[in-house]
Amino acid sequence: MNLYRIQAVISKEWREIVRDRLFLSLAFVVPAMLMLLFGFGLSLDVENIPFAIVDRDGTQLSRDYASRYTSSRYFDFQGYSQDEALLSEKLSTNELRAYIVIPEDFEKNLLAGKPASVQSILDGTFPARATTSKGYITAINTAYSSELLASYLSRTRGVSTAEATAALSPVSVSVRYLYNQSLLSTWSIAPKLIMVILMVSPPFLTALGVVREKERGSIYNIYASTVSRGEFLIGKITPYVLMSVVNSIILWLLATFLFGAPFKGDFLFFLLATAIYVMCTTGIGLVISVLVETQVAAMVVTAIATVVPAALYSGVLVPIPSLSGQAQVIAHALPAMYYTNILTGTFLKGIGLADLWQDVLILTIYAAGLFLVGYGLFSKRPRS
Amino acid sequence: MKTLRIWFTRMRVMTSKELMQLLRDTVLIIFTIYAFTLDIYWAGSGVSLSLNNAALMVFDGDSSHASRELTSRFREPYFQNVGSLSHSRDTNDVLDEGQAMVTLDIPEGFEKSLLRGEQSTVQMQVDTTNTVLGLLASSYGQQIVGRYGLEVAMKQQGLSPDGSISGPILDDRHRVWFNPNQEDSWFMSIAELLTIITVFSMMLPAAAMVREKERGTIEQLLVSPLSGFQVMFSKVLAMTLVIVLLTSISLFLVIGGLFGVPFKGNPWLFLALATLYVFTTSGLGLVIATFSRNMAQAGMLIILLIAPMIFLSGAWTPPEAMPTVMRWLMLVSPLHYFIDAGYGVLLKGATLSVLAPQLAGMCILGGLNFALGLWRFRRQFA
Repeated sequence: MNLYRIQAVISKEWREIVRDRLFLSLAFVVPAMLMLLFGFGLSLDVENIPFAIVDRDGTQLSRDYASRYTSSRYFDFQGYSQDEALLSEKLSTNELRAYIVIPEDFEKNLLAGKPASVQSILDGTFPARATTSKGYITAINTAYSSELLASYLSRTRGVSTAEATAALSPVSVSVRYLYNQSLLSTWSIAPKLIMVILMVSPPFLTALGVVREKERGSIYNIYASTVSRGEFLIGKITPYVLMSVVNSIILWLLATFLFGAPFKGDFLFFLLATAIYVMCTTGIGLVISVLVETQVAAMVVTAIATVVPAALYSGVLVPIPSLSGQAQVIAHALPAMYYTNILTGTFLKGIGLADLWQDVLILTIYAAGLFLVGYGLFSKRPRS
Repeated sequence: MKTLRIWFTRMRVMTSKELMQLLRDTVLIIFTIYAFTLDIYWAGSGVSLSLNNAALMVFDGDSSHASRELTSRFREPYFQNVGSLSHSRDTNDVLDEGQAMVTLDIPEGFEKSLLRGEQSTVQMQVDTTNTVLGLLASSYGQQIVGRYGLEVAMKQQGLSPDGSISGPILDDRHRVWFNPNQEDSWFMSIAELLTIITVFSMMLPAAAMVREKERGTIEQLLVSPLSGFQVMFSKVLAMTLVIVLLTSISLFLVIGGLFGVPFKGNPWLFLALATLYVFTTSGLGLVIATFSRNMAQAGMLIILLIAPMIFLSGAWTPPEAMPTVMRWLMLVSPLHYFIDAGYGVLLKGATLSVLAPQLAGMCILGGLNFALGLWRFRRQFA
């Protein structure tokens, strides 16, 4: 290792970056733009579900029951209808996601102390949305049922409604929400977006680094020079790592100031962990760059290796415990999951190295491993 | 007649040149096949966007029949009991370390107060670093406890001898259409296929174009008798052929074969729509290609467009919850239309007439993209 030679490679690479004005500006614009778009647009909440009601009973009680849905922020009421065929048609054209059928004799049965069945028909194309909507409907129905029972009990036993309600719920639950008491979804999304964007953008910056020289032929200057393999690769990735660290600070500022996510941890620890994570993702770009022969391949491989895992196997959209089988294996084999722990830890939980040392250690080993793989695959004596 | 024949010959020659160039890139081909088969299989078989197996830890301060009964009701698919705590004060630690997402704290004397008819309180602590799941977990938990309480009350109040719930209540019946058992694999495998198609149809034509510019071989094409349209369109044609071929393999072998997704509509209609979608998206790629001088620039521009397209078009998140401005913005994303059309055909059995708006959307966007790309190309090189 000769520091002088590394510095020479760095300054050569840096000059190449700076002289490509469009690329240089994109390197900083792309992460910030993605943060803005995702921060304002990406929402996992199931809300404003367009739905309709078929009221076959048309009594005061059935309207009272329907009002539980129409006043809920989770549902976006599209109107009453009697035509079920039309509604099911609308379900397949995505105009509706659900409709609810209140049967005949709804009021009569309930007032007589008999159960009444309420049917909900849901669009199941997006299973998570269907399950969540079903959860909302069940919650509304359960609440309404216990009110009905309580008023029935108070009528038949002659006790007050409050007493009847208390008698029917002998166990109460007190729920405490930790880390995000007011349940703001931007708080939970914004920190993880840093992970997503730093998973996608640094590999794209780096992926073309080596393969570009291979394709253009300028790599022969390196082959013929005194620069060793390690010096070349270190010099090659250093500018990209530094640029990505700068980007991560910009992303941190956007997350905390624009999106208002709380940062409870230690900023220096965050910066250190982020630098290691950025080395990992830059390293992914480096390995791809060394592995492939053409820039086209480098771009496609990078996209498939980063965009999809950043979304599915990282814990941003899907919590890791919900993954099964090989998806668990993939998630554990990628750096994103560990960094997600660090982000939620430093932002929302306010914990530091003492609790997160394992994740940091894994990322460090990962970064070193990627560099070694790149080093092993890169040869100054090409076979062809 | 003769000019027409020559025109087609030129197109054929150029298209086969593009195909040859693509097929000779071994790493790329291997990866492309992986993306359309194994990648989709993995995403479909392992990823679920619903709340499953939320890790639960219980501190049972009562150790009674009643507390064990309540604990046992927190079970799969929503909860997974990963262990019990010996001290109530440990709850914060296990939540901090992420060992559990939910903790349940049953106080001492729980059963006694139930038998006496007094109200008792159990405590649930929920990790809401993921708000949607936190909210779901707490809602499921509250329902489980509520139902348990109601059953106990039913017995105590003498409303029902065996604790089954009767009386004036709502019988909650659900019917889920298009995916009755909410199989995540049906949804995820299709979502992943749409994503992969997007990545390839955006990148391959754009990259083929930029490569010619970067290497200077574009000059050779310009002095040949080919028109600007032929140069651009042959690339799109070649890539579309490859992508649609792989899509059909993925559709019939992985999605239909391995996951057993029943195609409600005509799968060939899906492939026809996919072809249109690939054209539209390729047009977008070509526009990018005219703006970039080298592959690095093209790569960054592509990621700037493709990441929001994939994340925000509704493939992975429900689009209803997005702010209105973002929903409007997504009207320019071709994937937005293809998602509706794709699920419509495959799961809902939609026919071409139902999908007219989606078809129109893709056609308009595709036309605009090609027009813009061709105009910029001619201005740059003519």
